[in-house]
Amino acid sequence: MIPAFVINNWNAWAPGLNSRADWKAWYTGQRFVKDNNPVAPASVPKMLQRRLSPLARAVFNAADGCLAAGETLPTVFSSAHGEICKSLEMLKAVQAGEEISPTAFSLSVHNAIAGLFSMAYANQLEITVIAPGLEGIATAFIEALGLLQEGADEVLVVLYDGPIADFYPFLPFNLNAQNTCALALRMALTGEGLPLQFCRSAESRDDGEHPVQLLAFLRFLLAEDQSLSLGHQGHSWRWDKR
Amino acid sequence: MENELKQLIIDTLDLEDISVADIDSHEALFDGGLALDSIDALELGLAIRKKYNVRIDAEKEDVVKIFSSVSSLADYISAQNIALQSNSAPLRK
Repeated sequence: MIPAFVINNWNAWAPGLNSRADWKAWYTGQRFVKDNNPVAPASVPKMLQRRLSPLARAVFNAADGCLAAGETLPTVFSSAHGEICKSLEMLKAVQAGEEISPTAFSLSVHNAIAGLFSMAYANQLEITVIAPGLEGIATAFIEALGLLQEGADEVLVVLYDGPIADFYPFLPFNLNAQNTCALALRMALTGEGLPLQFCRSAESRDDGEHPVQLLAFLRFLLAEDQSLSLGHQGHSWRWDKR
Repeated sequence: MENELKQLIIDTLDLEDISVADIDSHEALFDGGLALDSIDALELGLAIRKKYNVRIDAEKEDVVKIFSSVSSLADYISAQNIALQSNSAPLRK
């Protein structure tokens, strides 16, 4: 059986792009605006806003646009690199003989943004954070489909990545993100929305890592294309509009 | 000392919208009041150690009382500095 689902809402954030209208313009050729630092959504308590990195604010903005006020959903986050640049800064501090900031440490782990999200939105539902390695965005869909099959009515999926520091070697990070980007998708098994199906593909493909694949998926949402295949040094996957 | 500590709290904990005048020396820092959390306590402990060379040991000291307000923090730091000086221990700037 090929898993089928619907995307009943989506929203994404990248520099200068924070609404579906912005993304339509992007699709028809508008470029990213450089150095646009996201502002935290007003729904996030002030005392938590100070903890949000630019990447976290991007994630919050994308997700916030998919949620009604006070609404919580089981959530799957997926990011290749997460806040790895914070870890690098701390390692440099250790090397310099400095003491590490407890706040920076607590916010550097891969599930830091998810933790802040659960606090900001008082979300006590199931929250998963995936580090997909070279597998790209497909693992987030597998996780979300699992939650839906277990009985969740809807699942919020948030794919995000930012550029990583030049310190990291070109390989295997050769398809690094040019810009911070976060894409939030509301998934359900049935109902209104964009109907999709999702399956393994026998193709051998090299479409780049998670940061590049999430933009490819965004483009697919906006495009007339009926099918999207993505793979990278491992399995390949295909999304079909039904 | 109290105003200096208030500025340290604001700078260390990124309290952008708060000024020294907004913090009452006797106001609770954690429960209610400024509503800081346990990460803030650790961060503040580190900042105090760096600035005043005073270590607040969570296992030996009554940290809840010491961190209860700016006033109690200032009292504790002053007392530790006096103790250090009377033992003629070198004070690191």
